Amino acid sequence: MAEQDEVRLTVPAMPEFLRLARVTATGLASRLGFTFDEVEDLRLAIDELCFALMGTRGRPGTIRLRYLVTEQALEVEGVGDFRGEGPEPTLSDLSSQILTALVDEHDVRRGSDGLPCFRFRKARMEYGRR
Amino acid sequence: MTSEAAQREELRQKFADFATSRDPALRDELVERHLGLAEYLARRFCNRGEPLDDLVQVASVGLIKALDRFDPGREVEFSTYATHTIVGELKRHFRDKGWAVRAPRRMQELYLRLGKVIGILSQELGRSPTIQELAAEAEVSEEEVLEAMEAGQAYRFTSLDAGGPSDEPGESLHTMLGEEDPGLTDAESRAALSPLIAGLQPREQRILHLRFFEGLTQSEIAARLGISQMHVSRLLARSLEQLRSASEEG
Repeated sequence: MAEQDEVRLTVPAMPEFLRLARVTATGLASRLGFTFDEVEDLRLAIDELCFALMGTRGRPGTIRLRYLVTEQALEVEGVGDFRGEGPEPTLSDLSSQILTALVDEHDVRRGSDGLPCFRFRKARMEYGRR
Repeated sequence: MTSEAAQREELRQKFADFATSRDPALRDELVERHLGLAEYLARRFCNRGEPLDDLVQVASVGLIKALDRFDPGREVEFSTYATHTIVGELKRHFRDKGWAVRAPRRMQELYLRLGKVIGILSQELGRSPTIQELAAEAEVSEEEVLEAMEAGQAYRFTSLDAGGPSDEPGESLHTMLGEEDPGLTDAESRAALSPLIAGLQPREQRILHLRFFEGLTQSEIAARLGISQMHVSRLLARSLEQLRSASEEG
């Protein structure tokens, strides 16, 4: 495996397509030797952050995902390329608390291009917190 | 006139009265008299991975729509008219949720089998198994394990009356959810977490608390509560979905 592999995926911003985002993340995590617990955490984190961008019913447009794989961790970036203006991307206190338990780092903001985006990083067990 | 015919006539009269008066009390009465129909139709859709309670609610919305639109002047029984509207509402519900696409049966079966394998391996290793370890033990590929985990997603929305994949037969989710919760019995501590969490079932509140506030892993929670990890996973995912929906509505 190269020092940092990259996989890109663009899906319609609808709940039924999040499955593809999850499967991509878990497929890469499996290569890294993530445990079942960690893979479950990843799946929940992908959902929580994608829904934070597009809402529970989805929005017209796409979510562009970028998966960065290093030896120790999986990093995922998501950009909501939506049609029309949307609310400011934010996480509730509860969502932040949930994500803190699921991943090592996470962030939701409006990118320099004006599009809502997220980023998270999850290290595998022996490199991470637990 | 037989009593049955008299009842039918009385009902017909009530529909005619409601069509002109739109009396809310009469509306409630007519809805109540046909709730059995809504429930009957909801049951016909309950093998598609959605809790029956939710389906009954959707069917009830269809019933109310049918009542509001029903024209008693037409030569059609209300039950016939309402059935059409309720089934339409239920179908729309599934279409909106995108649940027409279901996981293949083989994957659903593998998901059930993995539940047992995870339990055995976690005990042997003293930690959560990796996906490679799971695949080797179950004699399938890693991709199949991951696919099966996705297939399990559909089970996350099964009825509360359905058993968990690797739990004892006869023990329904409902029984487990209804247990007294020693960790979070007082309403105040639940409310302190978040008003949204307080809306969840006690068992789900506890799992959420253990995972996200105390930092236990899913396998640690499973061991502590004496339930399968698949079950913990399913309840967590469902709770998060409920919290998201509740926070959007709020």
